[in-house]
Amino acid sequence: MIPGLLATLIFVVSLYLIFSEKLNRTIAGIAGAAVMVGAGMALGFYSEEEAIAAIDFNTLGLLLGMMTLVALLEPTGFFQYLAVWAGRWSRGHPVRLLVLLGTVTTVLSMFLDNVTTVVLIAPVTILISEILGVSAVPLLMAEALLADTGGVATLIGDPPNVLIASAAGFSFNDFLTHALPIVAAAWLTALLLVRYLFRVELGQRPPNAEAVLQLNPAQALDDPVTARKVLVVLGGAILLFFIHNRIHLSPAFIALGAAAAALVWVRPDTHKTFQRIEWGVLIFFIALFVMVGGLEAAGVLRAVAGLMARADGVPPMLFGVMMIWGVAALSAVVDNVPITIAMIPVIESLGVVGMNIRPLWWALAFGAGFGGNGTIIGSTANIVVASLSERTRTPITSALWNKRGLPVMLATCAVTSVLYVLAFPLLSR
Amino acid sequence: MKIGDCMKRTVVSIPATATVGEAAALFAARHVGMLPVVDESGRPVGVLQLRDLLALVMPDFVRLVGDIDFVHDFGAMEAPQPSPEAMARPVREVMQPSLSVEETCGLLRAFALMRQRDLHDLPVVAPDGRLVGIASRVDIGAALLASWRPPPKGDAP
Repeated sequence: MIPGLLATLIFVVSLYLIFSEKLNRTIAGIAGAAVMVGAGMALGFYSEEEAIAAIDFNTLGLLLGMMTLVALLEPTGFFQYLAVWAGRWSRGHPVRLLVLLGTVTTVLSMFLDNVTTVVLIAPVTILISEILGVSAVPLLMAEALLADTGGVATLIGDPPNVLIASAAGFSFNDFLTHALPIVAAAWLTALLLVRYLFRVELGQRPPNAEAVLQLNPAQALDDPVTARKVLVVLGGAILLFFIHNRIHLSPAFIALGAAAAALVWVRPDTHKTFQRIEWGVLIFFIALFVMVGGLEAAGVLRAVAGLMARADGVPPMLFGVMMIWGVAALSAVVDNVPITIAMIPVIESLGVVGMNIRPLWWALAFGAGFGGNGTIIGSTANIVVASLSERTRTPITSALWNKRGLPVMLATCAVTSVLYVLAFPLLSR
Repeated sequence: MKIGDCMKRTVVSIPATATVGEAAALFAARHVGMLPVVDESGRPVGVLQLRDLLALVMPDFVRLVGDIDFVHDFGAMEAPQPSPEAMARPVREVMQPSLSVEETCGLLRAFALMRQRDLHDLPVVAPDGRLVGIASRVDIGAALLASWRPPPKGDAP
């Protein structure tokens, strides 16, 4: 009883520090993990070996490998090149620009980190808007909303998906057959809704449409040689992801192997390349794994699952829909990574008591992914575009996000819930 | 040689209470790159550079995008006008903190200070703090270079 209470207290205090931003999340995480292991050893419910075993190296390897590829691709100007190309192709037409930039951001964020994608596309978006003489706000918000929505479609699109795939044993193709169709519908809903909510801004005829035709994409690509090399490796890795189950390779091995191949081929300044990798994020993941491992060892998660299993009378379908909305509401206000890491053992223990948990994994992925759209702090991509826009003459405010982003979250969750119910037999397989 | 020996003694300055619009007109009329901002007693309280005013109309993307050589047409941002509110702001709100030296300041020290603060002109003050002159990088640099002695003949490498 006492280990359970203590472990819960340590976890709750750490989460409070992370979510209230009283302490940097990596620092709060690592401190919580240290206290958890210390308490576990003192009371005998958690050992160092168990703490290390709780770390999911499959997730870490996949993240590290993909981060390395992005770190190599980032300085080549490839992201900028795509955004400039989208600007030219739009010929200054605001709605066409919205669709093109939204699509570019989404496709990139399906395979690469959402935050990096938005960090690199958003400044060029501001550039295109300024030379056109239109507001950048609809485009910036659309990029963050669509990147977060689209990222749910693939195993590597979003950290919660990596975590879920690793825990549930889902393959890359499972995501393409189960998540992608539903995400595509949600994505289209989000795009149409953004188009409607910003109809005034997007209805303006830009006074200077010809200026975008003078943008030179080739000049925006600073290092085409390196870009080509990294893209070839990335393409190879994505092909391997498609067949990783058949050839018995883990996603982590493919990502790290691709990172190794790209590093050997490009031979960059390693100091600069590794500086671009977000070590803080990786350490944060490790700390959360160790803390949740402590909760599990103390028997807390079994108790929670026991409570949830009492809701046996609830039909599984309703349970899944409730999970979509519950997780979405949580991840609108807090980081979706800790939520996912904490939910995974709960779902696993529901499996142990006999529930078919496959549809619940998908509900978790949808809720964690789409919930972030609801508020300006809901996802890191949102925070990035908002803080970039604060450095311009037309900042995105929290109130504006509640008016334009929250409806997108509600609509995508609603569409997803309907499709979830309709596709429930498929999602259960 | 000291800065007092190479500075210009006619200084165009502007009172701290003047507006941005008045400053812009003065820059254009006198064709200068920097205006020392002075209080009622003629003591410098800040410096106003051309670029402080141009920053008011500079597109945001120039700060946000590292390399802008692929942008061949600034489009809507090409001939921007500052807002009437910006034009009516007192220069006190736009100026940079004051940096000035006395007439006895050495040339290399003066040049180093300007380089560090990224200034192109340096106000010079009397011991009582009143503005008495202004020296540009070119004034100081040319005076420094003029003091270099040619190498002795026959010693060439």
